[in-house]
Amino acid sequence: MVESKEYDVLVIGGGIAGEEAALNLANIGYKVILVEKDLSIGGKMIHLSKVFPTLDCGACITTPKVSETARHPNIEIFTFSEVQDIEKHAENDFSATLIENPRYVTDDCTGCQICEEKCPVVVEDQYQWNLVGRKAVYVPFSIANPRIAVIDIENCSLCGLCEKVCPANAIDFSQVEKKSTIKIRSIIIATGFELFDPLLIPRYGYGKFKNVVTSMQMERQLVPTRPFNNVLRPMDGKMPDNIAYVLCAGSRDETVGNPICSQVCCMYSVKQAQLLMGALPMADVTIYYINIRAFGKGFCEFFQQAKGMGIEFIKGKAGLIKEKENGNLIILYEDIQQGNVKEAEHDLVVLSVGMLPNTDFTEIFKNSRVEQDLYNYVNKVDELCCPAKTNIDGVFVAGTSTGPLDIPDSILSAGAASAEAAGYLNGGVK
Amino acid sequence: MRNRIGVYICYCGSNISDYVDCEKVKDIAAETTDVILSKTTMFACSDSAQNEMIEDIKNQKLDAIVVASCSPKLHLNTFRNVAQRAGLNQYNYVQVNIREQCSWAHSNTPPQATEKAIKLVKAGIARAKQSQELTPMAIPSTNSVLVVGAGVAGMRAAIELAKMGTEVFIIEREYFVGGRAAQWNELFTTNETGREVVSRLYNTIMEANNITLFTGADIDSKTGSVGNFDVKLRIRPRHVKPDCKLDWGKFKKAVEVCPVEFDDPFNFGLTKQKAIYKNFPSEFPEIPTIDVEHCTKCGKCVDICDKIDLDQKEEMLNINVGAVLLTTGSSPYEPKTGEFGYKEIENVVTLQQLKRLIELNEYDLIFKGKKIKNIAYVYCVGSRQVDGENKYCSRYCCTSAIHTAIMVKEKYKTINNFHFTRGIRTYGKQEALYHKASKQGDIFLQSFEDSPTEVYKENGHTVVKIKDILTADKELEVNTDLVVLVTGMIPRKNDSINNILKVPIGRDKFYNEIHPKLRPVETVIDGVLIAGACQAPLNITESVKSSLSAAVKVNSLISKGKIELEPTLAQIDKLLCNWCDKCADVCPYSAIVKEVKNGKMFAVVHEANCKGCGMCLPVCPSNAIQLIGYTDIEIESMIEALID
Amino acid sequence: MDGKTTAPRILVFSTEKISDPAIDLAGLLKKHYPPTVYTINVPCSSSIKSKWILHALDKGFDGVFIAADGTDCSFSDTCTERTGELVQRTHALMKEKGIDPAKLKMAAICSVCSEPFVKHMKNFVEALAS
Ligand SMILES: Cc1cc2nc3c(=O)[nH]c(=O)nc-3n(C[C@H](O)[C@H](O)[C@H](O)COP(=O)(O)OP(=O)(O)OC[C@H]3O[C@@H](n4cnc5c(N)ncnc54)[C@H](O)[C@@H]3O)c2cc1C
Ligand code: SF4
Ligand code: SF4
Repeated sequence: MVESKEYDVLVIGGGIAGEEAALNLANIGYKVILVEKDLSIGGKMIHLSKVFPTLDCGACITTPKVSETARHPNIEIFTFSEVQDIEKHAENDFSATLIENPRYVTDDCTGCQICEEKCPVVVEDQYQWNLVGRKAVYVPFSIANPRIAVIDIENCSLCGLCEKVCPANAIDFSQVEKKSTIKIRSIIIATGFELFDPLLIPRYGYGKFKNVVTSMQMERQLVPTRPFNNVLRPMDGKMPDNIAYVLCAGSRDETVGNPICSQVCCMYSVKQAQLLMGALPMADVTIYYINIRAFGKGFCEFFQQAKGMGIEFIKGKAGLIKEKENGNLIILYEDIQQGNVKEAEHDLVVLSVGMLPNTDFTEIFKNSRVEQDLYNYVNKVDELCCPAKTNIDGVFVAGTSTGPLDIPDSILSAGAASAEAAGYLNGGVK
Repeated sequence: MRNRIGVYICYCGSNISDYVDCEKVKDIAAETTDVILSKTTMFACSDSAQNEMIEDIKNQKLDAIVVASCSPKLHLNTFRNVAQRAGLNQYNYVQVNIREQCSWAHSNTPPQATEKAIKLVKAGIARAKQSQELTPMAIPSTNSVLVVGAGVAGMRAAIELAKMGTEVFIIEREYFVGGRAAQWNELFTTNETGREVVSRLYNTIMEANNITLFTGADIDSKTGSVGNFDVKLRIRPRHVKPDCKLDWGKFKKAVEVCPVEFDDPFNFGLTKQKAIYKNFPSEFPEIPTIDVEHCTKCGKCVDICDKIDLDQKEEMLNINVGAVLLTTGSSPYEPKTGEFGYKEIENVVTLQQLKRLIELNEYDLIFKGKKIKNIAYVYCVGSRQVDGENKYCSRYCCTSAIHTAIMVKEKYKTINNFHFTRGIRTYGKQEALYHKASKQGDIFLQSFEDSPTEVYKENGHTVVKIKDILTADKELEVNTDLVVLVTGMIPRKNDSINNILKVPIGRDKFYNEIHPKLRPVETVIDGVLIAGACQAPLNITESVKSSLSAAVKVNSLISKGKIELEPTLAQIDKLLCNWCDKCADVCPYSAIVKEVKNGKMFAVVHEANCKGCGMCLPVCPSNAIQLIGYTDIEIESMIEALID
Repeated sequence: MDGKTTAPRILVFSTEKISDPAIDLAGLLKKHYPPTVYTINVPCSSSIKSKWILHALDKGFDGVFIAADGTDCSFSDTCTERTGELVQRTHALMKEKGIDPAKLKMAAICSVCSEPFVKHMKNFVEALAS
């Protein structure tokens, strides 16, 4: 029986919130284990183009945080891994099972991507939100951390070409799932959010009409490492010149089971619209909204700036989207200001999809449950005074696991979680 | 002199390369003498690029590196770490800002931006050549902190800091703690009352033995710097002895005999108060106080209670702390006279006043003797101003107004609520409240900024008029008995603190953090942090999140016993110095002293005191002083490279 | 304008904590100013030597601008006074050398004064050009 490894804090999820919490605690001197389900840390933010309201590029803010986390002497990171069966034995005494999934590529990989050239299998690239393809053996994305390849074993044809060409001899088909037990004194849940799946609103035609895309897909078209190096509409690769945003897609909508506001989509849409004006100076951008929720520091000014740039804001919720033969789309909407139903034609429609809870946390605890709130986010039992406290002492919550939040708020929420964890680890008020 | 220099030009995705021809800059840098290697990179700050630099430094035996990328405020430390990890002294790294100060500033003229980038990089190379190996100074730090403002955010930070093992001094300008929250009844999202929250926090503070609370206290002055601030506190007299155990009977009598009466600011002028007061029973600390401004020192109360002491004097107290955390909060916007009828029409109040009214009226909502049936809430008063200065949204007020309207409906059943909005911003889960208000029958109307809501008197009625976009731009007029102005947040007036601490203030007049995402609670003044609503409008939960974030940053900054500081120090060349005392005279830290050796007098810098401001440099008539990192040769070689 | 820089060249001395952030902010907000403006930053505006200013003018800069800390200086409240004095001394030295004192300008630039900075730069370049 191998000795189980011990840490002060387990941080579950390596998005911006998880990283910030881990760094805060590691900087005080606590030993942190960060477990990330995905192939790279960085969460959703690492895939964003520029971020509101400062318009600095998402990567410029995340990559240094990611790399600081990755090389902090007090932080140990497990990517492509999960934890299960978390048990509380006493205060400051938790155990968990750590599961490391096989990458079929060892740490010797240098990320040279020679294997990718040779691999014959092409599938949709989830990191480009399926806008383009990738191979079965692949480096997740250019700024991934760790930047090493992985074999997508479900799609792999086991032809073995990659093994032959890898200059570092890093391909290892014999890898298997590794399980071990870890002991920790405290836990931070930072498993983040899920994106609303627009297939649930059939009247918007997502999945059926090619030129209806999600905001995340648009985000990818606006990043510097973007797949096409330009903004193109999917159907025919034409540069769009009349783009519509449909806000509250899957939010504030009881009929899809999500009555609350996602709090970020208004602002990211205003942001994307501004970026589009830069990328496609001739294009018209129209935003269909219910209310513009420009509430945070600098947001109102950012919204005014967008209006000043000539972006059109129409108060009205899109009811139905129809497709024309040329791929253009007709939006039927109620123009609230004029009090009638209208139609408008656009050549690209972006659905500003909202946030949904990631409910993984309900399954990874063994002898006690982490409570959910009304909307299935982690329940905060003392929201006003201890905004990171859950129903289990010693287990805290950070970032969008608590509910919809933008990046600055996720970071502050992570700060609160790390402060409360540090207070807990140090034994409370004396 | 360094002569094996590596240069990296960052594309920053496309932030730089869209406007600056990075390849050209790289090629020209490569031709500069002593440059061994010159490369471009997509993201210099990415882990892979950092590793590549480390390999280069080791393999090519580089003795200095230059990275031309974004502002050093973002990544100076990132690349200094790279240097260190490669075994290079971190001060042999030079960062050149070709993004904020080049590609973005000159995005309208790309060829000129490229020209400028070339010169900036050359200057960086010149500086790298002259760079020296230095070690940062480690200065001792006290593991104690001063928290300014005992509202919810401040008290919460104090408690968590104490839990983490940092000693806390917390001061409150008022005589009672709790700030704005103590004034509120039920708070939104949890329905706990503000008072319950405050009493919970106050009791924890009293239990902790490493938190000291002073009420009626201000900062008088501050000297020193991060790790070691000497702060002088001014503690105003309470005129009630600290061992007072509060006998309600006596207190009531004392209030009775007090002859002074004036408008009660706690109830926003809705009621009157006496010079000796306590706002409500469980207010903390649980001892009354005397309002010195109104008290006539008649002595009537002293006859009733011997715990009253009208002779108490102001006290000064010196404390030593490693950091200062500002949680001074915000104030409600005070509408101008005539703004939506405020102070001109008798039944126009603010949201804050309505909240106090609800608390003071048990069965019917009575205002100025009249039973209220219709309430009009006018939103965004003092926020989102078209003509005024406050362009920002105050964030909490939509939810707060709706939450209050729900309370009104629940408590007084028959009242009708009309909301005159600019578009409701109940973001996130607060949307549920909006939903609930709509369901209970509240009427929501909305106008745009170009046609503001109007409040006026007509035939003895108070009328609110709106051009309602929700009903196709119809003009609607509503007769109401009470107009509630939903006022926004403005920063609290704090001129003395602003003068003493010099925290930068933003366009919105709130304190400014260094960067909302990278360093959201830190200011440009090392060791001075900000949190809560003094930074931007925030609700309670949000304020607490930010104050806890600040707590964890403070603790990791000062709890290790020492802080590393830049080795930027003044150095005096003994041979050149003829001791004229000009430098000693201007040094704000008294870091320069006279020394005599073999009959020759000269100035010496006391390193522990020197903060590296360089004020002494230009006053020396013999140019005997150099500032490390900013020596003549460094600056002049940069100048030459820029003009080349 | 062509690729060659013919406009007056200005050297700005900025300060790390106060005025340099404002100049960064100007860039961030894409507020444009002439690309012949170059910045060197120092800890505090009161630390600038006349020698450096004269060196810059001597080597070919057409103007030097001190983006001073003003009253926001985190080192000392004497900063404004000291910076004023050094400007005076330098003006005197410039006169001695027959250099037009208008080539050295100073203004307080607070940490969010991006707009004033841009205005100062435009005006200074214009003034020097005529
Ligand atoms: C299209 C779009 C644009 C946006 N633009 C902006 C913007 O411009 N500005 C802004 O401020 N905000 C923006 N946001 C919001 C921003 O993305 C979020 O605020 C932020 O990413 C939240 O970070 P997080 O760490 O809480 O969650 P996430 O980024 O979701 O991170 C959670 C991490 O946990 C991991 N994880 C999940 N489950 C498990 C498990 N069981 N075990 C281990 N690991 C797990 C995930 O893989 C992920 O890495 C935008 C959002 C969207 C959708
Ligand atoms: S943030 Fe805006 S788009 Fe998103 S759900 Fe809320 S109101 Fe709708
Ligand atoms: S929160 Fe609502 S009332 Fe307050 S300023 Fe913003 S939009 Fe106006």
